[in-house]
Amino acid sequence: MQKRLPRQIYALWGGAETVPYPSWQTLSSDMPLITLRQLTKTFSEGGQTRTVLDAIDLTVGTGDFVVLLGHSGSGKSTLLNLISGIETPSSGTVEIGGVDITALPDHQRTLFRRDRIGFVFQFFNLIPTLTVLENVTLPQELAGREKTAVSTHALHLLNRVGLADRAHAFPDKLSGGEQQRVAIARAIAHDPMLLLADEPTGNLDEETGQRVLDLLLELTHAAGKTLIMATHNPDIAQLADRVLRVQDGGISNQLSVIGNQ
Amino acid sequence: MINNTPLRRLTWRRLRQRPFQYILLIVGVAIGVAMMVSIDLANGSASRAFALSTDAVTGRTTHRIEGGPNGLDEAVYRRLRQELGYPLAAPVVEGYVQAETLGPQPIRLVGIDPFAEPPFRNYFGSGAGGDAGGLTPFLTRPNAIVLADSLAEPAGLGLGDEVVVEINGRFHPTTIVGLLTPQDDNSRRALGNLIFADIATAQELFGQVGRLSHIDLIVPDSALLPVIEAILPADARLETAASQQNAIQQMTAAFSLNLTALSLLALVVGMFLIYNTVTFSVVQRRPLFGVLRCLGVTRGQLFQLILAESLILGLVGAVLGVGLGIVLGQGTVRLITQTINDLYFVVNVQSVTIPPATLLKGVVIGVVAAVAAAAVPAWEAMRTTPQTTLRRSAAEGRIRELLPWLLLAWGALTAVGVLLLWAQAGGLVAAFGGLFAVLIAAALLTPPTTAVLMDWLAPLGDRLLGVLGRMAPREIGRSLSRTSVAIAALMTAVSVIVGVSIMIGSFRSTVIQWLEQTLQADIYVSPPGATATRDTGAIQPDIIAELSAWPGVAQTAVAHPSEVFAPDLGRTVQLVAAAGDVSRGNRPYAWKPDGVENPWLLLGEGIIISEALVLKEGLPIPPPPLTLQTAVGPQTFPVLAVIYDYANDRGTIFMDKAQYAALWRDEATSSLALFVEPGADVDRLVREMQGAINGRQSLDIRSNLALRQTSLEVFDRTFAITSALRLLAVIVAFIGVLSALLSLQLEQTRELGILRATGMTLRQLWALTLLKTGLIGAVAGVLAMPVGYVLAWILIYVINVRSFGWTLQMQLQPGYFLQSLAVAVIAALLAGVYPAWRLGGMVIATAVREE
Repeated sequence: MQKRLPRQIYALWGGAETVPYPSWQTLSSDMPLITLRQLTKTFSEGGQTRTVLDAIDLTVGTGDFVVLLGHSGSGKSTLLNLISGIETPSSGTVEIGGVDITALPDHQRTLFRRDRIGFVFQFFNLIPTLTVLENVTLPQELAGREKTAVSTHALHLLNRVGLADRAHAFPDKLSGGEQQRVAIARAIAHDPMLLLADEPTGNLDEETGQRVLDLLLELTHAAGKTLIMATHNPDIAQLADRVLRVQDGGISNQLSVIGNQ
Repeated sequence: MINNTPLRRLTWRRLRQRPFQYILLIVGVAIGVAMMVSIDLANGSASRAFALSTDAVTGRTTHRIEGGPNGLDEAVYRRLRQELGYPLAAPVVEGYVQAETLGPQPIRLVGIDPFAEPPFRNYFGSGAGGDAGGLTPFLTRPNAIVLADSLAEPAGLGLGDEVVVEINGRFHPTTIVGLLTPQDDNSRRALGNLIFADIATAQELFGQVGRLSHIDLIVPDSALLPVIEAILPADARLETAASQQNAIQQMTAAFSLNLTALSLLALVVGMFLIYNTVTFSVVQRRPLFGVLRCLGVTRGQLFQLILAESLILGLVGAVLGVGLGIVLGQGTVRLITQTINDLYFVVNVQSVTIPPATLLKGVVIGVVAAVAAAAVPAWEAMRTTPQTTLRRSAAEGRIRELLPWLLLAWGALTAVGVLLLWAQAGGLVAAFGGLFAVLIAAALLTPPTTAVLMDWLAPLGDRLLGVLGRMAPREIGRSLSRTSVAIAALMTAVSVIVGVSIMIGSFRSTVIQWLEQTLQADIYVSPPGATATRDTGAIQPDIIAELSAWPGVAQTAVAHPSEVFAPDLGRTVQLVAAAGDVSRGNRPYAWKPDGVENPWLLLGEGIIISEALVLKEGLPIPPPPLTLQTAVGPQTFPVLAVIYDYANDRGTIFMDKAQYAALWRDEATSSLALFVEPGADVDRLVREMQGAINGRQSLDIRSNLALRQTSLEVFDRTFAITSALRLLAVIVAFIGVLSALLSLQLEQTRELGILRATGMTLRQLWALTLLKTGLIGAVAGVLAMPVGYVLAWILIYVINVRSFGWTLQMQLQPGYFLQSLAVAVIAALLAGVYPAWRLGGMVIATAVREE
């Protein structure tokens, strides 16, 4: 809760709302964390309909590291957006931890995302008016948690990504690699069950990209969280539990391909 | 050969993509121009209407012999014709009458000698008049009148019909013996407010037998002037017709200039809006400009591109503004005419005249304002280097670097403003220049102040409201190039509201206090006057005697205003001849000699003059003796005291009534003030008196309270137009904030997308948007308080003094400042509603991808 503001007022703008769904820790391990059923996404462009994802069925288990490979425009990012709920499908359902998020109204879906999902973008996407520390605490502060309490945890995370000394700097003073490390800390600060990463190293040089990737895997996959990453980079695919190719609106297992590379 | 076609195509596409942004720019220019045009049209229409009706009466007159308050002895005319044998002279007796059948407005009745008329005016005889009955009935029938058919027909009147005219509270039946058919529109307008009668009829109607208002002359050779002057009596003077008309136009000059300055203000606020929109469109297209520069587009082409865009949009806005101005002009002309009738002279505006020059001026000023406001961002666009696609953060960094320079500019411009206000010689125009300089300087101070305030508010907001409370001020501070312009626009408009409200409030309370001090009598009697603030005509002596001796009346005071010529000042001045003190010694004095308790009691020994006369004529304190032209020649009077008087902005001289009567041979009394005995029922007395004089003379008999109420009604009517103009300035500022918010939102699309993706709910995003707009409004409102106070100070102590010669006591009320804060915050919040609503339609995934 915020220190000064009456709870009622804070709740009015959707701050201190709780998520009325079962805690993800209570889910049984043999149950899939993500289930996509007949997931379809079409876009209208100039009066024509383009199907990006066509009736996809997919399950992802808890703790899996899944890599999505595909050309630009193949629908990798769209798939991540649909799973995170920032985009709604044309048809089909997305079920995460037993909750059908496609059936939720926008407000509930936002609360669910804020509580259960972490997102790392290609372009770092930090909020320029917030300091490094404030960027990390943002999702929790938006959920109405005490800033000082979440700050301790955030500082701990920043320490782990090697940026504790930059906690009070603004993002524009950081390098690309540093910004992406902050973005990773922000994505895991609220201890989400699922992490989605869209080309997290796509905008970094090879060496920095590798360090960021190592850090991401250490903080998520190694910690037992589910990680789904969209990438062009086949090298990353070698580290994954599963590799899926997104192509022509469909999705296929690519283990053999990876093995050959 | 440079080809700009691809660039023009790009501009056209952008216009189609972001129409709303450009519509706001057009609206901003349009409202600014509309205000200016409407005021211009109204001022122009009123002055043209007056000039037309004056011209109609003046005709080909070159000179005029004027008399004293009582006019001229008609013997002067006889001497002119017979002794001098001067043929080009025409006697005139004129005044205002009320004719219910012809409408509520006062009408000018002009008595002429039709035989002397032809060289002067051609409404009679020369074919212009459809004078059905000829001259005979005009000369022979008692109370015969001639008027334009355009005045008679709408009232359903024709030849032989009776028109009852009310003059000086008495009703006289007159008969229409001729109808004039004006040949053109100008003549129709000129004659629309005139009734002609034979000179003898007019003399009888006005109770001026043997007297003339003036004698019109055509003097082809100035060598004749001394010859004519030699036969004039002491109280008569020879003036050129032009100087007389000029004097009348001068009366309203300050009033018109005040309105024009206020109308310019909307344009200044509109310029902020244009600057904001164009800057935004430039910043947003920086990457595009970078690419264009790489592809070979020159700096000059980019500069031209931006200016051409603003020119076209400014032109569209200005043309729309001119149209809107014409529509608004219909309303403003009514308000302005009312005020001129209340305060200065009778003018009857039948229609708004639309001179092409006013329209052209509106378009040119609108376009120039748009191009000038776009010049800075266009310069910025020109400097875009091919290599860099400068990001907003870099532009914001530059603004931050500019802050100390803005502070310096504020100091410099304020100093210029203070100098302009200081310079007495500059007059009213310099004073308004100073006012605008101070106001624009305050706008320059907005970015540094906003930056400091936001840095300071972020931790406070954090403590109070958490992350949203921290983000809102930081986002405003980070987008200074955008937000500070919106804040400046809103601050300017709101500070004007505060300034003008304090000025009007102070004016009103000063007038109320002055009325309370000056009007101590219980009952006031006067004939209905042609203008609201002046009593003209005379009360019948028998009625004065009867009412003065009325049971319950303890004491009386009488007064009679007239216009007398002051050779020292080179103009006429209002002279109020008074017997008894209507204020019972409570009048407030601006100056009186030491040791004199009540100078009013010494009135027979000299004159008392009003503060407006001292300030308008730049007289020293104590004022030197003043010479006035009387019926017995010029007489010099010592000035006993200077009085505060808010009834006349040209200055007033107060003189003992017996002295006046002796010097000007005028015994008339036009206002009677009655003090009743303690405990008497004033309202009952008023009713009884009204009953007693019913049918003898139409007089306004009012209680003290009723008179004060009437005075304040006139006051409030005078400022009605000011209130309307204030509102328009706020509307322009509101559009400025709306435009800035939409710009910001477009620029921050990706950031907003990230916030949503990170878990900010729509409600939180709304809250953030409204928090930002609320803060923008609050900062504007808070800054507007001191600026508004400074404006009020300038309006009260510089502008008012130079315009009207009145010193007002500044009255500060917390309400004025709270109102400014409320207006600013509400305007900003309302402007935030649409951008907040738009957030609902945001597709997060698309927004996140936005670059």
